[in-house]
Amino acid sequence: MKKQSMWSLRLSTASLVLIPVAVGVNYIGKLLAGLLKLPLWLDSIGTVLAAMLGGPIVGALAGAINNIIYGLTADPISFVYAITSVAIGLVTGILFYRGYISSWGKALGAGIIIGLVATVVSTPLNIGFWGGQTGNVWGDALFAAVLANTDSTWLASLLDEVVVDVPDKLLVVLISYGIFMGLPKNIVQLYNQNDKVETLD
Amino acid sequence: MNKIVVEGLKYKYPLSETLALDNISFSVKEGEFIGIIGRNSAGKSTLCQAIVGLVPHFYKGAYGGKVLVDGLEVKTHSIADISLKAGMVFQNPFTQVTGSKMTVYEEIAFGLENIGVPRTEMINRIDEVLHLFKIEHVKDHNPFDLSGGQMQRMAIASIIAMKPEIILLDEPTSQLDPGGSEEVFQAVQSLKNQGITILMAEHKMEKVAQYCDKVLLLESGKVVDYDTPEVVFSRNDLDVFGVTAPVYTKVCQALGVKKKGADTYPVTLKEAEAALKEMRR
Amino acid sequence: MKSISLYVNRNSFVHDVDPITKLIYIAFAILVPIIVPSFTISFICVGISLVLLAFAKVLRKTVPVFSFVFLVLITVVIIQGLFKPENETVLFQLGPITMYQEGLLFALTITLRVLTIVSAFMILVLTTKPSELVESLVRKGMSPSIGYMIVSVFQIIPEMMAAVSTITDAQRARGMETEGSFFVRFKAFLPLMGPVVLGALINTKERAMALEVRGFNSQVQKTYLYEEKTYAYSRLIRALLLLAIAGALVWRILS
Repeated sequence: MKKQSMWSLRLSTASLVLIPVAVGVNYIGKLLAGLLKLPLWLDSIGTVLAAMLGGPIVGALAGAINNIIYGLTADPISFVYAITSVAIGLVTGILFYRGYISSWGKALGAGIIIGLVATVVSTPLNIGFWGGQTGNVWGDALFAAVLANTDSTWLASLLDEVVVDVPDKLLVVLISYGIFMGLPKNIVQLYNQNDKVETLD
Repeated sequence: MNKIVVEGLKYKYPLSETLALDNISFSVKEGEFIGIIGRNSAGKSTLCQAIVGLVPHFYKGAYGGKVLVDGLEVKTHSIADISLKAGMVFQNPFTQVTGSKMTVYEEIAFGLENIGVPRTEMINRIDEVLHLFKIEHVKDHNPFDLSGGQMQRMAIASIIAMKPEIILLDEPTSQLDPGGSEEVFQAVQSLKNQGITILMAEHKMEKVAQYCDKVLLLESGKVVDYDTPEVVFSRNDLDVFGVTAPVYTKVCQALGVKKKGADTYPVTLKEAEAALKEMRR
Repeated sequence: MKSISLYVNRNSFVHDVDPITKLIYIAFAILVPIIVPSFTISFICVGISLVLLAFAKVLRKTVPVFSFVFLVLITVVIIQGLFKPENETVLFQLGPITMYQEGLLFALTITLRVLTIVSAFMILVLTTKPSELVESLVRKGMSPSIGYMIVSVFQIIPEMMAAVSTITDAQRARGMETEGSFFVRFKAFLPLMGPVVLGALINTKERAMALEVRGFNSQVQKTYLYEEKTYAYSRLIRALLLLAIAGALVWRILS
């Protein structure tokens, strides 16, 4: 069974239904993180799962729609960070399809890579829109400390984002991998809509 | 005239080793009501899905044989094309809600918008099915706020509004409480009165006996029997296939009371009553 | 069912403006201050948005969003005022704390930038039904699939939230600890999250099939239950907004 290119732009109905669910998963992840007062966002589990199940395009779409919804329901600045969510979806999809998220150990490494990518994409946005801050208490405290001791807003902003994003994405990828392993195989198969119908005649 | 013709249908799900449908052949005439029975995973849902084209187009997998729905060959037509001929209602009322419409009225319109029904016609059809399935009073409610029975009637209404000539019902009451089930069976009764060709996979044998013209008994993806309810339910090997005959049949079987002038047992309350009265005389 | 949309149903002329025009207004309110960088222009843009929000009778509904934004902005003002690398001119001193003019001016720029964006978007978000916004975009040529995905999120999230609260209650009843150290709380996250996510993913199969049999992938030209609403003055307003953007550009090039 040969896998077709992961870049297929034709979305199956199953993938199409998956994307809103992914956004919902992001939403309740954030909700629960808030409820349990965890100092993490945990708001990209759905995007990561969508990318693992449906590939980079589905992951990117889930990320984009996620931020459109946040923009419409909570915080309009979220629209801007759609770029970060898209990057998370793309990178996760590529890593997964190349086999870099196929064990707990590899998922750990992938989590760090995804966290770093998110950091690199978010930092310029943080600088442009918030003067470099992330809005996370611990990260912003570090931002203030670095800014007070160096003269680089960029360094301060990058560190602010790294300390929040890398642990966050690491846990997100591990949680998503765990959920992925728990899914029935026929559901996983559903999104992998590249096979042709074989004939039994 | 045959509405559905199935010839040598074979199907295997992706990743599966065994055939889910194994050389199935039968045909259904216009206006007939067919009951599909058998134990869980005998192939009832798969067969229903093969008639509307979800098998093989949705799942892919391996496919053989032929299914003709009102002359259309399923294998070579899209699900959207087939949906104009045959509609399907699923087990879980909840997962069938599209999730993109805010009211029952709009929910029913979903399919009609997709197949390009003009506005005025659309409104007429929606009003008609709301009335037919007695859900007019909830037409402005959010679809997710309905009871299970109402939701399932909305699902049937949404399909019937598309005016298919055939409808498939896959255990439409298996996830409903007794009240909800009764509401849905009344809706099924009104479908029967409309003269639509109906195939229903169902576990409640009393209902199968009451509504169906013929019963298709499946086991491990193969057809065991395809005959009138009286003949199928009078078999003495039903338990081998995980099926229990209607309670009326079992009572009459125990009493050795057959239908007048026939070699089969009664399958409905009415028939049992008639046969028992006959015996008393 | 609890809605996550911020839309407020009121009677006002702002509500009667079509969604596309509101999108153009957002472009106007964001672009003009970028093209003409002056505090006055930014203040005017925020002012126009606030006046429109007041006319729409939804000003009170902006409070939660603005207070969230202000929380972050206050830290921006403090951190930049104290620590911005370019800080030179002392503005005032409070004990050991020194506030600098450069940092505060920069914080003001950030604040105005955020406020223009937030206030302009609030007009769209508070006075437009999400489904109407999506339907007008689909009529303008956006893919109906994208439209489906956006609208269905508004239905799916409340469903999933209801499932979460059922499970939270059940787990608490079984004695799960949701308070305490970080690890105790993190350990609670998985049993709360897992079942809801698995259930939602498994449900996608039947939902996808239900969409298919309702002609979701039909190649036929789609029709609509509702007639396209015609809005008074839409064209005029759009023309004025685009003219204003063009005017700002011309001013920038000439000066």
